[in-house]
Order: sequence, then C-alpha cells, then structure tokens
Amino acid sequence: MLQDKINALIEEVNHIEIRDAESLESFRLRFISRKGEMSSLFEEFKQVPSEAKRELGQLMNALKQAAEEKLKSSSKALDRERDALAASAIDVTLPSTSETLGSLHPISIVRNEIVRIFERIGFNLSEGPEIESDWYNFTALNFAENHPAREMQDTFFVARHPDTVLRTHTSPVQIRAMEKQSPPIRTLSVGRVYRNETISARSHCMFHQIEGLYVDKNVSFADLKQTLLHFAEAFFGKGTKIRLRPSYFPFTEPSAEMDVYLGTDTPSNYQLTKGTGWLEVLGCGMVHPNVLKNVNIDPEVYSGFAFGLGLERITMRRYGIKDIRNLTENDARFLRQFAGAI
Amino acid sequence: MKIAYRWLNEFIRLQETPEKIAEKLTATGLEVEGIEPFESIEGGLEGLCIGEVLTCGKHPDADKLSLTTVDIGAGEPLQIVCGAPNVAAGQKVIVATVGTTLYPKEGEPLKIKKGKIRGQVSMGMICAEDEIGLGTSHDGILVLDTNLPNGTPAAEYFSVEHDHIIEIGLTPNRVDAASHFGVARDLHALTGEALQKPDVSEFEVDNMKLPIRIQVENTEAAPRYSGLSLSGVKVAPSPTWLQNRLRSIGLEPINNIVDITNYVLHSFGQPLHAFDADKIADHTIRVKTLPKGTKFTTLDEKERNLAEDDLMICDGNDKPLCMAGVFGGLHSGISENTQNIFLESAYFSPEYIRRTGSRHELHTDAAYRFARGTDPNATVYALKYAAIMIKSLAGGTISSDVIDIYPQPIENFEFSVKYDYIDRLVGQPIPRQTVHTILSRLEIGAQSEGEAVKVSVPPYRVDVQQPADIVEEVLRIYGFNQIEIGTYLQTSYLADFPQKDPYFIKNRLAQTLSGLGFFEMMNNSLTSPRYAAALDASAQDVEMLQPLSEELKVMRQYMLFSGLESIARNINRKETNLRFFEFGYTYHKIDADYQQNSHLALFVTGLTHAASWHAPAREQDFYDLMGLVQRIFTHLNLTEVSKTTLQEDPIFDYGLAFYAGKTLLAKVGKVRRQLLALNEIQQPVFYADLDWEALLEASSLELTFEEPSRFPPVRRDLSLVVDKNVPFARIEELAQKTERKLLQSIDVFDVYEGDKIEAGKKAYAFRMVLQDKQKTLNDKTIDKTMQKLMRTFEQELEAVIRK
Repeated sequence: MLQDKINALIEEVNHIEIRDAESLESFRLRFISRKGEMSSLFEEFKQVPSEAKRELGQLMNALKQAAEEKLKSSSKALDRERDALAASAIDVTLPSTSETLGSLHPISIVRNEIVRIFERIGFNLSEGPEIESDWYNFTALNFAENHPAREMQDTFFVARHPDTVLRTHTSPVQIRAMEKQSPPIRTLSVGRVYRNETISARSHCMFHQIEGLYVDKNVSFADLKQTLLHFAEAFFGKGTKIRLRPSYFPFTEPSAEMDVYLGTDTPSNYQLTKGTGWLEVLGCGMVHPNVLKNVNIDPEVYSGFAFGLGLERITMRRYGIKDIRNLTENDARFLRQFAGAI
Repeated sequence: MKIAYRWLNEFIRLQETPEKIAEKLTATGLEVEGIEPFESIEGGLEGLCIGEVLTCGKHPDADKLSLTTVDIGAGEPLQIVCGAPNVAAGQKVIVATVGTTLYPKEGEPLKIKKGKIRGQVSMGMICAEDEIGLGTSHDGILVLDTNLPNGTPAAEYFSVEHDHIIEIGLTPNRVDAASHFGVARDLHALTGEALQKPDVSEFEVDNMKLPIRIQVENTEAAPRYSGLSLSGVKVAPSPTWLQNRLRSIGLEPINNIVDITNYVLHSFGQPLHAFDADKIADHTIRVKTLPKGTKFTTLDEKERNLAEDDLMICDGNDKPLCMAGVFGGLHSGISENTQNIFLESAYFSPEYIRRTGSRHELHTDAAYRFARGTDPNATVYALKYAAIMIKSLAGGTISSDVIDIYPQPIENFEFSVKYDYIDRLVGQPIPRQTVHTILSRLEIGAQSEGEAVKVSVPPYRVDVQQPADIVEEVLRIYGFNQIEIGTYLQTSYLADFPQKDPYFIKNRLAQTLSGLGFFEMMNNSLTSPRYAAALDASAQDVEMLQPLSEELKVMRQYMLFSGLESIARNINRKETNLRFFEFGYTYHKIDADYQQNSHLALFVTGLTHAASWHAPAREQDFYDLMGLVQRIFTHLNLTEVSKTTLQEDPIFDYGLAFYAGKTLLAKVGKVRRQLLALNEIQQPVFYADLDWEALLEASSLELTFEEPSRFPPVRRDLSLVVDKNVPFARIEELAQKTERKLLQSIDVFDVYEGDKIEAGKKAYAFRMVLQDKQKTLNDKTIDKTMQKLMRTFEQELEAVIRK
C-alpha cells in the first residue's frame, strides 16, 4: 500500500548513509527532485480515495521534510569535512607573493612632515624657478656687489652680464612672493638649490632647502622665536629646548641660527653636537629693511621674519644617514628601508 | 679665526673656564667651533723629568751601549741602557720613564716600554733633543746645567706653556672682532668686565736720523697712511713667549720684527708692514697705482702682472716694494741684515684690496681685514705700540716722527633710532638704560633724544648702518635667549590655500605609487651633455659656465636619462626588478629664455616580483605600465582622455600618447635600445613621461556619482577573427559607436595568432557587459543587440565570428 511504501521510504531516508558529493546528489535526485520517488508517489496519491488523502498527504509531507532535512544536514556535514580537509592541507607558513611596498624618498618624507607642521599654522606654499637672475638670487636679497657667493667658485653661473645662476638658496622665492602679493604674507618655499661644490660624502652640488617667510605689521623677533619653538617641538618632540645665536645673512637683520638641544646621552648625539648637546638646525632672522624696500614694502610700516633649513642635513640626522650621496643614488636597497616611514 | 685664551686675558680679565668663555662668545655672535689645548712643545713633555746619572759602565754584550743607573728623585735608581756616546756619570739628563709617550721632531709618537736590550733590563730612556721635540740635534743626549732636584718635571725646566685655543667661525660682517682685542670688546659688552687697552703714552721719538718722505698719490685707495722709521735694530729670533703666542694661533715665527707686526695684527686687527728702509730709494714712499702690466715679484717669489688699479707701495724711483695691504715684495722685506726699518700702518680702501686680493688670489691675514674694513682711526696707536715693542725686543731707536697722511678724516656715522622701533622689532620693551649701556660698551655713542637714541657709530663697525643694525647690536648682547615669548603661538593671519592644491595632489599620488611598489627617486638635475646630444637637443642645453665635471655639465632636459642612470646603478647592484617614480623638472634654454618643465616620470623594468611558488613572476611589460598610468588618470579624476599610437618616436620603440583635448598628458612605451645602451642597460625598460602641469590642469575636483543600476547586467562573450592589422582599439570604438546605451564594458580575455587560424589573421575573444538602467533586459533585446554588434564587426572589419 501507499502508506507502507511511504513509511518504508521515510525509514530509508532516515538510515541512508551519505558519504560524498556523489551519494548526496543521487539522494537529491531520488528523494527531492520532482522526477524521483516523489513523482511516482504523487501518481499513486492521485488514485487514493479522498477520505484517505488527508492522512496520506501528511505522511508524504513528512517524507519530504525528512528528505530535505537529511539533505541539508548531510550537505553541511560534507562541507565541514571538505573544509577540514582543505585546512589540514594548507601550509600557512608559506610566504605570500613578495610584491613589496614602495616608498617615498626620505627627503620627501621629512619635507612633508615639515610642510605639514607649518601648514597647520597658516603657511602656504610658493614656488620659483631654479635658474634665477642675479636680482632674485642676490641683489634683491641685499647681497653686496662683492659678496663671495657671487664668485664663480661658489655658485653655478649659466650666463654672465647680466648674471644668471642656478639658485643658491630658496630665498629668491621670498622676493617673488613679496612682489606678487602685498602683506600679510605667510608662505613656505621648498625646492632644489645648487652650490659649486664637489660631490663627496658630506657635500653635494645639489640639495634641498625649505624656507619660511612672514611679513605683516608688527612682526617681531619674539614672534619668530615662538614660531621656531613650535616647529622644534612639533618636529623633535614636546619639550624640546631651542637656543638662538646671533649670526649673519645679508637678507636678515638681526640674523640668528637656531640650535636644538639633543643632549649628549648617546654617542651619536655626542658626536653630532660636538659634545655640546646643541645641534644647529636652521638660520633665521628679521627680514632686512633693504630687502623690504627692494620689493616696495615700507619697512616703517611692515616687518617680517624668515627662516630656512637644508633638508638633507635634517633628513640625514633623523635616519642616521652618513653619506649624502645615498640621497641621489636611488639604490633600491636604501629606499626600501623607508617603506615604513610614517 | 684662532683666539688664544691667555692672549685674550691680556685685554680683559677672564674669570671663567675657556668653555664658559666660549659659550659667551657664541651667544654674542662669535660662534665658537671648537676649543683645542695648546702646548708650546707637543705632548707638553708629559712624563719626562730631570734625572742624574749615578753610574755609567759598558754594556756586557754590546760595544756601543752603556749600562747606567739614574736617579729620578723617587724610589730606587733606574737601570737604563743608553746608546749615546756622550753619556757619563754625574750628568743631569732628561729621563723618559716607562709609559711616557715621546713626540719626536720627526716621525710618529713613541711609547716607552719596559724592555730588555741585549739581555739587560732598561727602565726608561735618556733623551736627546730631537727625541722629545725640543730641537733637531741628535748629537747625543741632552745634558743640562742645572741645580734643580732630580725628579723635577722637564716641563717646568723648559717652561712649557699651556693654553686653550678658541676657534671662532667669524661671520663676514664682523671684522671688528677679527683680533684678540675685538673679541675682548664683545666680552666687555656682555659682562661689563673692564677692557684693558695697553697704554702707548711712553712712545717718544728718539732722534731724526732716518726721515722718510711719504707721498700718497691715490688717496681714494689709501685714505690714511701712517708710518715711522727705526734705526739700528737687530733682527733676531723672537723671545720664546712671543714665538709661543704666534705658534698658539698657528703662525710660524720668522724674526722679531715680522713677529711683532703679526702680533699687533692679531692683537688689535691693524695690519702693519715693515720695510727695510735701506732698500727704499730716496727714503721716499709713494702710494700709487702703476701702469698695467708692470711686473712685480711678491714674497712667494712669484712674478705678477699688475693691473692699473692694484695699489702699490713704491720707492722714490717708483719701484714697487709691496702690494698695498695684500702682500710684500721679495726684495724690500726684513732680512737678517736689516738694521733700519720703515714701519707702515695704513687704512686702505676695502674695494681696492678686495679686487687686488682676488685678482692675484692672495688671501693674507692683512688682506682679509683690509678688504672688510679696518679702523681708519687706529693706525697711529698700532704704530706706536709696535715701535715700543720693537725697541724693547730688537733694540734700535725711533728715528722719525710719526708721519700721518690723512687728508679727510673719516668721522663716526650718526643716525637716530626710535626706542619704539627697537621694542617693536624685538617684541618686548628693552629698557632705555640697557640700550645705552650696551651701545657704549660696544664703543657706539648713544645719546637720548626724546623718543629716539642718537647713535654715533665708529667707522670700523662696517656692519652698523641703519636702525635694524642697532637692534641687532643691542639684541645680541642683551641675549636672543632673554626674549620672552607667550604661552601660545600667535597666528593673526592664515595664508590662502588653493582649492586644487598641487602639493597635496602630488603627495596623494606619491603615496598611491608607493603603494603600487614604486620607489621615489631623486636624481641630480645636473647631468652629462651626451644625453641631449643623443637626441639632437644640445642646442637647448642649459650649460654651466664652470662645470664641476663633464658628467655634471648641463641641466637635464629629460627625466629619462637620470632615471636610467639610477636603474643602471641598481642593476649593477643586482637589483633588477624595479619600479621607480620621480617628480622633477627638466630645464631648457629656448633662445634667450630658460624654461623649466614639471614632470612625473615612471619606470618599470625586470620581473613583477621575485620568484614565487604562489604566483609565477613574469617580465613587467608595456601593459603593466600603461595600466599604472591609467590608474593615475583615474586618481586625478581625468575622465576624457584620448590616446594615439606613438609613431617613430625618438625615445620609444612603441607606445601610446595620452591627451586631454589637444593637450599631451603623457607618453608611455618601451625605451629604445640605443638609449638604454648609453647606460649599458641590457634589460627592457618601460617608461612613462607625464606632463605634471598638464595633468594638474586637466584634473578635476568635480566628482559626481550616479545611482548604480538596480537591474542585472548580462554578459556575452564573443570571438572574432580579423585581419592582424586591426588593433583592438578599432573593435572597441566600433562597439561603443554601435551600442551606446546598453554596452557598459568590453574586456579582452584572449588574443590569438597561430596555426589554428588562417595566416595573417588574429582572433580576439572578449566579454561584453550589457545593462539597462531602467529595466531588466529580456532575451529578445539581448539577441537583437548582439546581432547588431556582430553585423557591424562583419561589415566594418570583415570579421569572422567564431561560434
């Protein structure tokens, strides 16, 4: 009878053993698919008298549920088994494909950091050409007619009378900025500069400078000091001590050099600071009244400060680079080490 | 510049250690670069003492050696083996005990060790003069005539002087401090400790035996010329103390007269010159220029051709004796036989001295000072001081008046500085009394005039010309570090930033590239001219007038070659799989103008990665680089980029040029072999040169987004056989033209040429994605669209559709 047949099938479903994907599929075809056992059962079901249909219907449903249940659980068990097998087969200690991370150049890394510090306090960026006229590189910056920097042994000339040089510092950008804009001006310039120097471990004919300028009414030496202290603390760490020493630059008066206190605790700091604990970091000063006059800014009304530093030196210090040539040789083994610079 | 601590102490009492004094000097603007100990005899005769030879007998096993016992005042007498023939019992000698380091006149330092010489113990060494650096004699051991007890340090017997030499990095504006007295003046200003200027009131003319006539013909070049004569001097070596003084600052003593002029120069900053008066024809000095081309032999025995503005000191026959203020003549100076001298003390024009000094490349101590500006009002003082010193050290008499040609005395420079200006520039009020005190200690007159101070600046302060300079003077003594600053940073003004910020964009791109495995390069912008020559572009080279070398002669015109140099270097170091980028400039001379162009250069070469079990490495190729360039375009939000194939490009074998409208954005391709050969690179290099200005210009801040379609996309694959000359771009273009609305993308997944298809043909297999944004696509529409596309391929490309 149909009832017995269904019961037998339920029994079979409950006891059938599904070991692999194949037996799972044949189970599915036989018990779930409309073309399997179910279809013949339905044919027979049609013949059943109406009064018996209710009970048999429920029984068929039970078969269907049992089959679906079986399929689901077996499928899950098989998946689990497969995953476990795969997991035991994989060696997670094998290396990944060694496609490595690149890196920014260390000069860029340090430059970005310094630019960020000054951008936060309202310095924008200005640019100027590297091939400069005498006016921008020297005259407007109050270099005397006979200043040694104007001699061929210190500066690269590309033309004479009128003189055209590879800029020896980023200060010409100050002049360009002040010509273009009236005060207030608060700007940074970054870029390549050149000196007629033989390339060695300690010196190079090309290097980078970063320079800041602030011109407004009542800008004072105390403001300069405050800004530099801010920079020193942001770059070298909170609580960093600075000191200013009188110095000389044609384009600032008073002029100073800023030292940062590193201490003499470590052999490298001792060596770096020649035993004094103080490291010379940058040159600075109040913009010379002659410079302001040269760009038609009235020094009676306005004053300003400027500061500048060489990126190579500070980068070499930060990373302990001993030979400046590392910075232009672009050795992958050198650059690779900066992939982790944050 | 070297400053000796004990010498400095003659002009100001120093109560602190050299280190403390150095700190103070640095704080006033005289930067101390180092402090070195000085010993008048190297090693200071450390460990050497006086001993007495008690016994002296023959060495049992050596004919030429003696075996001695020597008392050094302590403990048992020492047994010492001695090789000197003159050693004898009873002598007082210099003994180097075990452990002492000797600094001989010639050769390396030598450490005395306990040892055996031919079997006999030797507990030290009896020294000869040259062995301890005292002289050159090696005739035997040094025998002293002394009653000093045995054990007395040799340093005491020979009066070894110890000093500290302070090295100052003098800034070019501070010629006022280019002497011991000048340095003392800064210390005086800082501490208030009295400045001691030696008194010359004892100066007296002894006789008029040697009158000298002085004619200054060029008073512009020699605004002041002073001199006097001395007769009957005896030229000899200077006394030890003077020799030590000069040696301590690195000068070699010559003779008493020359040493005195040097001593005065380094004491007071006034250069002096001593002439042999008997070599001055007519006893007449003429200060003048000579005709161009006149020959003159300087002290270094070099014959020089004079220029028409070289100021010369000449005699009565117009024969040049000396290059004024720069360098002496070979024949007019002080010699051993000199008895009568003419002593010159002048103020020469800085411009003249600078020109002459640099023209003849003579950078003497005198020229250094004259060229920067000495004190025109100090010539006579220095002259008198030197004359007194000569009389006392070399004898003789002062045999003329002080002759002083000073037609137009140079006065102090006066101007007013508002107190308020000082306060504003400093950023805090400086008490008026402080201003006055500092200035007057610096010998700058200061008088209050209401709201301003009237200053009177002596002419030797060449760097003090205007109010800002006065602020510097006040501030450097007041102390830069005394300036107080507030707790918070004052930023009354924030600068404008561009909305499209090039620095930010550049950085963002740099970060992305480094994420894609690129290293950032920084190559020298100075390079060899051979690169531009290889591309026939030498005419646009920006060339150095005085290049460091042929390899650094011009500014680069190409990012390519400096990058290739770095790549070659890496390949030589066995780093062959590379990805590099560089942001930089190229430089070009266009007619009379200099042009600087901004680039982003990308280089890929070698394998994609090191050999890997996981994903096989392969050669990086054109498509890798092109894909990276397209990612840059995406990153910069460049949507409308067109491309053309490069045709006969001088740099690339093949490649693509990308445009935004008509503007060239980038060229990407494989670098020609002969260009790689310039740096001996064998492996292929793929290079992209992006015009950074053009990219920035074309990049857009406008980013709009479109609601993604909710209807499913349909994928259809197609395989076409076409003539092998048909580039894929043609298929893509046709497809997009034919079905603008539904076609979303075409991805090529296979390109085939070979035996399985007809010769001269190529098969492309690609997947097209169709999607309607308004509704789900039905089969009918899909079929119709595909039919339309296939028909187009068949008609336009004579394509055979592979089923």
